[in-house]
Amino acid sequence: MFNRDLKKGSTELLVLSLLDQRPRHGYEIGKLIELRSSGKLHFRIGSFYPILCRLEDRGLITGRWIERAGERRRRYYKLTSEGRTVLAQQRSVWKEFVVTVNDIVRATS
Amino acid sequence: MPDWASYVRQNLRLRTLRPEREAEIVEDLAGQLEYAYRESLNRGLTDEQAQDAARQHVVDWASLSNELDHSHRGKESAMAILQRQAEDRDVRKRRTFSILSDLRQDVLYGLRVLAKNPGFTTIAVLTLALGIGANTAIFSIIDAVMLKSLPVRDPQGLMLLKWGARQSPKIHNSNSYGDCVTSIGGANAGGCSLSKPFLEDVRTQTNVFSGLAEFASAGAMNLSGNGPASRVNAQYVSGDFFQTLGVGAAAGRLIAPFDDTPSANSVAVLNYAYWQKAFGGNSSVVGETIHLNNLPFTIVGVAEARFNYLTPGNGYDLWISLSQRSRLRKGWNPRSDDAGSWWIVAVGRLKPGVARSEAQNKLSQLFLNDLLHADKPLAKEEDAPAITLEPAQTGLTGARRRLSTPLFVLMMAVGIVLLIACANVAGLMLARAAARQKEIAVRLALGAGRARIVRQLLTESVTLSIAGGLLGIILAFWGARALLAFLESTSQRPLGFTAGLDFRVLGFTAATAIITGIAFGLAPAVRCMRVDLTPVLKDGSGKGSSEGHGGRGWLNLGNSLVVAQVALTVVVLVGAGLLVKTLENLKSIDPGFSTNNVLNFDMDPTLTGYKGERLATFYRDLRDRFNAIPGVLSASYSEMSLLSGSLSTTGFHLPGTPPKKESNADYLPVGAEFFATMQIPLVGGRVFHPEEYVQAAKEEADPKSQSQVPEAAIVNESFVRAYFPNVNPLGQPFGATGPGITGDPDQTVEPGWVIVGVVGDAKYNNLRREVHPTMYVPSGEGGSFELRTDGNPMAAMDGVREVMRQTGSDIPIFNVKTESEQIDALLFQERLIARLSSSFGMLALLLACIGLYGLLSYEVAGRTHEIGIRMALGAQAGNVLRDVVGKGITLAATGVAIGSAASFEVTRFLGTLLYDVKPSDPKTLVSVGVILLLVALAACYVPARRATMVDPLVALRYE
Repeated sequence: MFNRDLKKGSTELLVLSLLDQRPRHGYEIGKLIELRSSGKLHFRIGSFYPILCRLEDRGLITGRWIERAGERRRRYYKLTSEGRTVLAQQRSVWKEFVVTVNDIVRATS
Repeated sequence: MPDWASYVRQNLRLRTLRPEREAEIVEDLAGQLEYAYRESLNRGLTDEQAQDAARQHVVDWASLSNELDHSHRGKESAMAILQRQAEDRDVRKRRTFSILSDLRQDVLYGLRVLAKNPGFTTIAVLTLALGIGANTAIFSIIDAVMLKSLPVRDPQGLMLLKWGARQSPKIHNSNSYGDCVTSIGGANAGGCSLSKPFLEDVRTQTNVFSGLAEFASAGAMNLSGNGPASRVNAQYVSGDFFQTLGVGAAAGRLIAPFDDTPSANSVAVLNYAYWQKAFGGNSSVVGETIHLNNLPFTIVGVAEARFNYLTPGNGYDLWISLSQRSRLRKGWNPRSDDAGSWWIVAVGRLKPGVARSEAQNKLSQLFLNDLLHADKPLAKEEDAPAITLEPAQTGLTGARRRLSTPLFVLMMAVGIVLLIACANVAGLMLARAAARQKEIAVRLALGAGRARIVRQLLTESVTLSIAGGLLGIILAFWGARALLAFLESTSQRPLGFTAGLDFRVLGFTAATAIITGIAFGLAPAVRCMRVDLTPVLKDGSGKGSSEGHGGRGWLNLGNSLVVAQVALTVVVLVGAGLLVKTLENLKSIDPGFSTNNVLNFDMDPTLTGYKGERLATFYRDLRDRFNAIPGVLSASYSEMSLLSGSLSTTGFHLPGTPPKKESNADYLPVGAEFFATMQIPLVGGRVFHPEEYVQAAKEEADPKSQSQVPEAAIVNESFVRAYFPNVNPLGQPFGATGPGITGDPDQTVEPGWVIVGVVGDAKYNNLRREVHPTMYVPSGEGGSFELRTDGNPMAAMDGVREVMRQTGSDIPIFNVKTESEQIDALLFQERLIARLSSSFGMLALLLACIGLYGLLSYEVAGRTHEIGIRMALGAQAGNVLRDVVGKGITLAATGVAIGSAASFEVTRFLGTLLYDVKPSDPKTLVSVGVILLLVALAACYVPARRATMVDPLVALRYE
């Protein structure tokens, strides 16, 4: 639906926003984005997983293994305090960006 | 259900991440794919469709791998990346397996692992350095003394002429200088000293040698003309000596054939080391004149530096030609150069095309002919006298014989120390291997072969031992030099040995290091072969299981290593204990005279021309002057000082025994007040009268003036017990000869001796030798002076020098030693091995303690949880302490028991080195056992105490 570059610029914000509420495992985050965008945004594990790793590298999220009876153990990611700060910044920047882009788009349409 | 983890592992190609991180990513991705797959199944897709849908999530594995490689968490160091890249290549190219690149990556990985554990690495490297260093030090001495090639051109081509015969030839003079094994007098005689006429015949009649180098010790000489008079060791050599050996000159020229003629000028060539020491390496010394025993010699050159000796341990300060002997040597007479005087040693180079056996035949024929057809036949044909040619390298034994047993014993000791070091490091490696189980399991899970892991672990241990070897070389270099300096300091003449790092020593160290590395690396490597993946990977602690140090059961690998260390330590300590006890036994021997406050020194006034009556007067005068030095209680002289290693014996006929039977006694000519000075008690009769010294001096000056009455002799108690057991020995004559007594019409008439006094038994040449029947006779001269002082004997030395200066003679004094120092020098071999073996024993003890301490500490750490529970359930600290200490002591006691049994076998090798102590001496065994158990107790106490400090709450939270 949306092209790759558009998605690329916003994925981090999407992941951080979804983890703001509670820890989730990787596939769940991807599914949730797809669900909440009514299928307009779709991520494959192959393209989504490196982003999770990068966020973890930067210390914005952290992973923890959780094992439940009869299930393969899964890695759950949650937001770190630094992640929370970055999320707040990114949210305001995003809002400003959207407003700015909208202003320009409206003025020229 | 598909195995998603395998699917991910097959497709993902990570290059830069640590194995643990890689495993995490694999599991995380596999979990997500499995979730996607299950979801598709739930949506009603078939299994195949669901798998397809999941697989669609990752299409471009290469770009995913690439992106993950760029994440920096879990990233390895640049060195490790190199290693892992090599490992990847290894997977792809397994069939074209390259040993070198594997080795490189193993070494790189090993270095990284070792650098990560600096504590472990330092202890292991130091332990190994001590073990390998001690071995290298002793080996480099063995190399210098036993194995080093002779410092000449083509040493293998140089042949020593040795003679042998069933019965000793009837020669009237024989001199040997410790160059080879010599046995003269009696059956199976042999040696390497030959007569001048025979060697001349070899040159002119056999035509088998292209060069023949002849040499003989010229003994100690008095050198003047270069500062104060000094004493040097010189060697007579033939004109073609240096040419035959292929030795060059460092300055000037060497002795040439034209120097070795009766009319030649007197020239001398200096040894390089002596030139450096005495002349400061100054080249202008060539052409200068020095005086040897008051005769002028021109220095014509210096031999090249590497030529420090021909016979190991027989170093000489300078060389002069054989033709000078008649001019120089005291006691030379025309008979010295006849066929019955054997005093020259020779080595030759065979002519090209002449076989050794052919040369031996020719030489033996000539030898037999010369012996049978001498003026007076020297041997019978049935005695089969023959010449054999032995490579000079093995034939010229020199100091090798004296040093071979101690060096062998020391090599055994350091070998055992190295074994202990190996066991110690193997114990450390085992403990660490347990801690590394997780890492190894992950590597195995990721597809590494077990053989590959074993090789990796062995490479790590060999890397450790090579590091230990490199450090060991430094220790060895320093140790070997100290050891040689010690050897040199106890020797009266230059030994000429230099310990260096040649290819043999470095090869030995390299081989030792590699074998050591494999030896201590095998145990942990074999253990890792048995790793069971599932429990290890599940256990999050990464510490392995409670199984601990090398397996379950009491007799596991870790325990066995500690037992082995203790047992080996017992062997070294028992050996060292026996050797120390031997030294103590020798030191505590009562030599029969008081060794405190005695100063000995030697001189030889005959070298500066004193002889006859003048010599006797000189001695009498000196004795009086020494007596007057403040602090000197009494002074005397003798042919040689007691316990100096020198010995003189004589044969005589004892009245009442068959005419041809010869009795023997030790023989020592002494000056006035000898017994009072040495404090040898007079048991019966009297000491010598002054006129007896005067008569002795007369006879020494002129043998023709010998009186026809028996000479006075004082004998010791052993002499009386052996030869006059049931009679009053005083006034008994003995030793008279003549046709009337022996029945031999050619026998000269000698009046013999009469016993005038009996003294207590006293040791003569050394401490080990039992006191033999000994006779003392009066003498107007002597080589050694003895001064009894009332305090520090060395304090009298200034007075002695002043007296010598007043006499106005340029006579050097040498071998200045107190009697105690003399005994120390005599016991140098015993002191050397006692001192070194105890150091190695201490080293062994230290290593074994570290081993025991390490094992227990590791176990206590591993059992924190268990100990916590026991203490929570009411166990007392005392129980826990007893438990841990008990385990340590049980191990140590087992080691002591095994070691004691083993030492019975091993210490038998010490045999001849021991004195008055049996190899199975119970006292030594018990003391070593007690010492070890006490030290073990101390080593156990620290970890045991730590165990009692365990807080149950903390311990229970531990897991």
